[in-house]
Amino acid sequence: MALAWLLAIPLAGAAATGAARRRAWMEFIYCLGAGAALAASAFLAAAVLSGGPVSFLNGFLYADALSALVTLLTCAVWAFSAPYTVGYLRGAQPAGAPARLGIRELRLYYALSHLFVFTLLGVSLTGNLGIMWVALEGATLASVFLVAFYGKPTSLEAAWKYAIIGGVGLSMALFGTILTYYAAFEGTGMETWEALNWPFLIAAAPSFNPLVMRLAFILVLLGYGAKAGLAPMHTWKPDAYSEAPAPAAAMMATAMLNCALYGLGRFFLLSARATGPGMPSKLLIVFGILSIAIATPFILVQKSYRRLLAYSSIEHCGIITLSIGFGGPLGSLGAVLHMAFHSLAKPLLFFSAGNAQQHTGDDSLRNTAGGLVHALPWSGAALFAAVLAVTGTPPFPLFLSEFTMLRAGFAQGHAWASITAVILLVLIFSGMFGHAARLLLGPVPDLPAGDRNRWTVYPLAVLSVVLLVLAFWIPAPLSSLLAQAASLLEVKP
Amino acid sequence: MPLLSDPIFGQTMITLMAAIVLVLQITLVAQKSLVSSIYVFALQSFLLAAIAGTIAWFTGAGHIYMAAVLTFLLKSLLLPAILIRLVEQIRIEHEMKPLLNVPVSVVISGMLTLLAYVVAEPLQQQMSFGSPSSLGHNTLPVAVALFLIGFFLIANRRKALSQVLALLSLENGLFLAAISLTYGMPLIVELGVFFDVLVAVLVLTILVGRIREAFDSMDVTRLSRLRG
Repeated sequence: MALAWLLAIPLAGAAATGAARRRAWMEFIYCLGAGAALAASAFLAAAVLSGGPVSFLNGFLYADALSALVTLLTCAVWAFSAPYTVGYLRGAQPAGAPARLGIRELRLYYALSHLFVFTLLGVSLTGNLGIMWVALEGATLASVFLVAFYGKPTSLEAAWKYAIIGGVGLSMALFGTILTYYAAFEGTGMETWEALNWPFLIAAAPSFNPLVMRLAFILVLLGYGAKAGLAPMHTWKPDAYSEAPAPAAAMMATAMLNCALYGLGRFFLLSARATGPGMPSKLLIVFGILSIAIATPFILVQKSYRRLLAYSSIEHCGIITLSIGFGGPLGSLGAVLHMAFHSLAKPLLFFSAGNAQQHTGDDSLRNTAGGLVHALPWSGAALFAAVLAVTGTPPFPLFLSEFTMLRAGFAQGHAWASITAVILLVLIFSGMFGHAARLLLGPVPDLPAGDRNRWTVYPLAVLSVVLLVLAFWIPAPLSSLLAQAASLLEVKP
Repeated sequence: MPLLSDPIFGQTMITLMAAIVLVLQITLVAQKSLVSSIYVFALQSFLLAAIAGTIAWFTGAGHIYMAAVLTFLLKSLLLPAILIRLVEQIRIEHEMKPLLNVPVSVVISGMLTLLAYVVAEPLQQQMSFGSPSSLGHNTLPVAVALFLIGFFLIANRRKALSQVLALLSLENGLFLAAISLTYGMPLIVELGVFFDVLVAVLVLTILVGRIREAFDSMDVTRLSRLRG
């Protein structure tokens, strides 16, 4: 039942937003919904930890430790971004968009954000791989309008690219899902919708036709990989992330990325059981390294910091995929840890960069006079901390997860892939650090003092503190949730 | 044995209709006018619904009837109507101006069909006659061909609306694959997929309208400001 309640929260929020007549009500509903969802997902995680997987309506809704973790992350990102969204939408809007957002635009934004969260929660809370596809496609459709929100020609261009690449990618994933159903149907004779339920599939996977499952995995990898932003299907990402409002982009870069990789991980486990882990792991390693490698030069020569964040997101998507591909207990632990820490570090980066863009009215890295930290003491400091965090600098926790990933690589005999990854990560660190230094440090700029808006500053402080605390101390329940999720993501013969 | 209960007859009919569906897909590639492309798509969807109906008739499975009826209503009536209305509303030119010319495109589609047979052959050989999926067992290569040609169509079209049409024809390939491999996805998944397709078309048509307003054109090659 907890599963259904959790899904009902954003849906009720969308309905209430549709009926709300005043800005303050919509803001209140949005923050209330996010808080309630975070509490409900923590409750769900506790239930899964104490009593094992939860299922509702014959497994239509289902949560084990892995899905509980992804759900918790989605809700956490939502809860952090809700107050920020309120502040961001009250602030100045970019050139080309209406200067003050009207009540209709706000209603559209808040209602769509609720629906977006609803579909994302649907991905992680359903036990049925077919419904998971439906939810992920729904997430694409809800977020297309968030990308096109400002209605500028560039936003429409980004939204179109996103819709078409997302649509084509998801059609491949649907083909993969159909083939998986076929494999289950042929292997077990089961022909009801329960044949796509996770516990049934993973138990029956060894009897699946390896040829069919191999084809299915390649299609799903391309499809959900496109959704997560793995290279070479990543081209929509820089456009979409730089055109969407910052809080929406933060949701897409963390929660949606997690959900797509979660789906990919499920199919990886299935095909690793059906065909042996060799081929699926190799494919994940190749796509992971390729994503990090393609992101690197674009990060080094980037001209706009919103696009920089998108390339950083492609890199992190590659890191998680690589870690799943390395496999073994360390590889899956690295992937799960990275998913969790990245979901906290990336919003900090998006929020502080959003504040900077809103204050200067521009996201260029070239025409900047520098010294942003003088005008924006809070956002500037947070941006600097976030850049250090996402590049895996100690003491931030992403160091821990990237280190675990690399240890897994060496332990599983993928020394070359690990060495390549280290070199690329160092290059990315130098690029990101250089960009941040040029933007933030330097003489006092000719800008009014900013950071006056509590709504957009407090979330930064809270996120930074949470990140730093997690680097030194992971609470025991969270730690056992992470450990259980990692063991679910590990291929067991 | 009366004709209408003879599975061999059913299989022949399905193969015939699948062949026409493939021919229609190549017609889409060769088609220059947007409006007639929409009609070709509607006809293709109608044939798919007929294939699903035939399979439902021979297997007696209720949920396939449902899929057939939904395909007929949604893909061969509702979606073409929405698209035609959009074409009339925004008064776009009907010429589609593909990137590659028609003869080259048709040759490429032929090669993609061959490729589809190469890919689907090993799968097809494993399906023995008499297994549950025997009725539509020759249609898998056709489905893969529809899928590949759909990809090519998306890449080869400049107009935003014709890309939507290409995406829809690609999804017809998926539907055919689902029907021929497993007699359709489970009903609840099928319903979800139909719902998504419908919403996707609504989303895309709204976007097409806004692109048309902002750029005064639907030519997606003009959407090229965002780089790097």
